[in-house]
Amino acid sequence: MPGSKTIRFASLHDVELCTHAAVGERRAFGELVRRHGSAVRGLLRRMGAQPAEADDVAQDAFLTAFERIAEFRGEGAFAGWVKRIAARLYLRKLQRDRKLHLFAEEGVETTDSTGGDADAAIDLDEALKTLASGERICVTLCFAAGLSHAEAAEALNLPLGTVKSHVKRGLDKLRTRLAPAHGAALEGRRENG
Amino acid sequence: MAEVDFERRLERMFAEAPSFGDAESFADRIERRLDRGWATRRWLIGAAGVIGGVLGASQLLMSNLFQRVENAEGSARLLSSGLSQVAPQAGLIPDLSSGGGMVWAAVGVAVVMMGFVLTRVIEEI
Repeated sequence: MPGSKTIRFASLHDVELCTHAAVGERRAFGELVRRHGSAVRGLLRRMGAQPAEADDVAQDAFLTAFERIAEFRGEGAFAGWVKRIAARLYLRKLQRDRKLHLFAEEGVETTDSTGGDADAAIDLDEALKTLASGERICVTLCFAAGLSHAEAAEALNLPLGTVKSHVKRGLDKLRTRLAPAHGAALEGRRENG
Repeated sequence: MAEVDFERRLERMFAEAPSFGDAESFADRIERRLDRGWATRRWLIGAAGVIGGVLGASQLLMSNLFQRVENAEGSARLLSSGLSQVAPQAGLIPDLSSGGGMVWAAVGVAVVMMGFVLTRVIEEI
């Protein structure tokens, strides 16, 4: 029965699946990918990667995770562990493409897309688009990939102060953008328009 | 306090994974890549083993090992008979001509190990 193993894996906890994957059981790892693939792909897109690029990096991240699965001790969540691998791989790719230095720029003002696209749903992904690239990547690294400010600074090769100010400015913008009043204002504009 | 609340809210929003229509095919692609990598690795290890085995066997044949073992056996026999003439209690010294037996024992162990490796490879396939 071809599906029986898949069904068995589907009922297992992540840590148990990792144990199976550590002895080379690829189907068990496939189940982990099914569970957390979207989270990793979403993280990379939120970091600013284009969809195809995000999927490539996510694939590489999962393959790296499979290679290093014995290092995963189950102390944290598997998803968090893979997300950190994916985030670092994406940063390395940016470094190769010589795009990493762009995040060092401070005080880059972005155009607020609120007025331009009033019909767009106010969600996190839309809000992230209003952030400067440095702010966006720092906020995502710290809040989605679970890196500390110091770890993000090291991964980005930026001074800690720069990362902190990127995060602060990014949070301020997101707070304004995601505030209930902001959503209500948009709703009102939609009704009037 | 409001700042902390907002950060918690943001963490919750980030934790919500977006849904992708091609999530299943994405997982299938990774499984296929893992299978491909695994097969390649298995063939590489197998090929390396065969090459190593052939090289080892050819080296054994080229170094006239069996001839040397026979010579060593002859020398050891001469040495032990000489020793027994000098001191009759030299019979207590282990028979040095058993060197040939050691070689055959090592060959036996090697054959058993090869069998073990082959069994593992067949299990993998």
